[in-house]
Amino acid sequence: MFCGMDLGSRAVKIVVFDGTAITEQKVVETAHFYKQCGAHTADGFAVNFDALISQLPSVLTVTGYGRNSLNIVGAEIISELKAHTIGALWQTGLTDFTLLDLGGQDSKVIRVRGGRMDDFQLNDKCAASTGRYLENMATVLGISLDEMSQHYLNPIDLSATCAIFGESELIGRIVEGVPVAELAAGVNYSIFRRIKPMLLALASKTVVFTGGVALGPAVAHWVREETGSEVVVPPQPQINGAIGCAIQAMKGNDQNVSRN
Amino acid sequence: MARIGMTTTVPVEIILAGGHVPVDLNNIFITGADPVRRVEAAEDAGYPRNICGWIKGLYSTVVDTDCVDAVVAVTQGDCSNTHALMETWQMAGVEIIPFAYPFDRDVDMLRLQMQKMASALEASWDRVLEVKAELDRIRRKVAEVDRLTWAENRVGGTDNHLWQICCSDFNSDVEKFERELDEFLATAIVAPPRKQKLRLGYIGVPPIFPDLYDHVESMGARVVFNEVQRQFAMPYDEADIIEQYRRYTYPHGIFYRIEDILAEAARRQLDGVIHYVQSFCYRQIEDMIVRKKLNLPILTIEGDKPGCLDARTRLRLDGFIEMLK
Repeated sequence: MFCGMDLGSRAVKIVVFDGTAITEQKVVETAHFYKQCGAHTADGFAVNFDALISQLPSVLTVTGYGRNSLNIVGAEIISELKAHTIGALWQTGLTDFTLLDLGGQDSKVIRVRGGRMDDFQLNDKCAASTGRYLENMATVLGISLDEMSQHYLNPIDLSATCAIFGESELIGRIVEGVPVAELAAGVNYSIFRRIKPMLLALASKTVVFTGGVALGPAVAHWVREETGSEVVVPPQPQINGAIGCAIQAMKGNDQNVSRN
Repeated sequence: MARIGMTTTVPVEIILAGGHVPVDLNNIFITGADPVRRVEAAEDAGYPRNICGWIKGLYSTVVDTDCVDAVVAVTQGDCSNTHALMETWQMAGVEIIPFAYPFDRDVDMLRLQMQKMASALEASWDRVLEVKAELDRIRRKVAEVDRLTWAENRVGGTDNHLWQICCSDFNSDVEKFERELDEFLATAIVAPPRKQKLRLGYIGVPPIFPDLYDHVESMGARVVFNEVQRQFAMPYDEADIIEQYRRYTYPHGIFYRIEDILAEAARRQLDGVIHYVQSFCYRQIEDMIVRKKLNLPILTIEGDKPGCLDARTRLRLDGFIEMLK
């Protein structure tokens, strides 16, 4: 059994792969994972797999924010960029595309050519182009992230460049009586505006869109409309990084991974 | 004899010829005991948070320590923030000697600027030329450090960075600098060649991260070209002093810099380039041009306050090196 883990800032995603298909997957909160699902030892964090999955993995590959800060006992560590690239290659079967991943702390745009990462850009030093911004704004609007990612019609104009001041601006618009759907559309459009230059710089005919936000139609709508690219959302966009790790666990260091 | 600070590389020959001690304020700031505190002190004095960390560090280094008697401030060829830095220093009673690199590299304008600087520092032109000859001899040794880096792989990125960057003021003591350089070269020349296969270039202003080069080497790559640092070391062995500062690329616009970068990238067989930009610096805009003009993989990283590499920058470096392997 091959196990992949993506240690994110909010959730730890775990995928078990038997060599042909995903047999198990789990998402646990990051704080819960470190408190309840293992122990800190002299060699690093030892994961208690009994508390998480039904079988002990034979190979474990992990990724996460700042790969050098991770120290999981018995694991091969790969970068998030590599994990997400491999995950997208396996999930879509495509070899030439631009991968857009909207993560909690980073938005990543990776250009893939011939099955290999060819170039990438990540967001600048600003929280307003990350999933965390969307979460905060959903909280301000009193709706779930899932619901917010549905709205793209009649987006209101949000001008603040800062994620925190953006909240105050949004509250001001709520007070004015602007419908929630239009406010949510405005938030979604503002995050698209921040990733658009990266998508244009590393353009492909096909954009593979991952991260939980990809489950809703809003951001994908503007990617299609304003870049002209076809948008492919893989079957499990929210665990793409963990899938990439599981595939890497199986294939070792060979980055040329495709579905077959 | 006065201690003459500088905001960036200026004709150091003139300072020495006047019998003064050159002090590169950037080096004093970043190698000082607590550079982060210097930035905070400037913010306490009223400097905006969203202004370059180097400007703030330089401000406090001069105002809060007694390290210089006057400052040569570069008013053209560096950023407009330096203008306001100069003005806030003047408000604090610091003596300023302005120096401008002409944008179009006009030889007459540059000569006039250098003559004005010599006059302000009471340096005779004959003595300036004598000092140049002495410094050129040392600069040739620094060029050898650079050659040992890229041609023989015997010198690491940090040493390459430090020896070249220190040529802005020769650590305020030319004789001691040369002695230490000789000692370094004696060991470097017989050091075992390094094994990292990936060869990277570093372009842009010097990094505010002290551990950048070591981290890159720990990931199996190596910086074999430090663009601006090499320029500080005046690498062309140019006989005419006006022409020497005319050929110096850093203050003369991005297109002139790119000619030098392209030539060195080819000569040093670079696999990729790290473009460092400082937060809130106008040079971030020039990244657009760098990306269009250099036909090499480019990673742009951004630094703000002094300190070791943060997780997000390490992620970018690691991903870039992984991509190139």
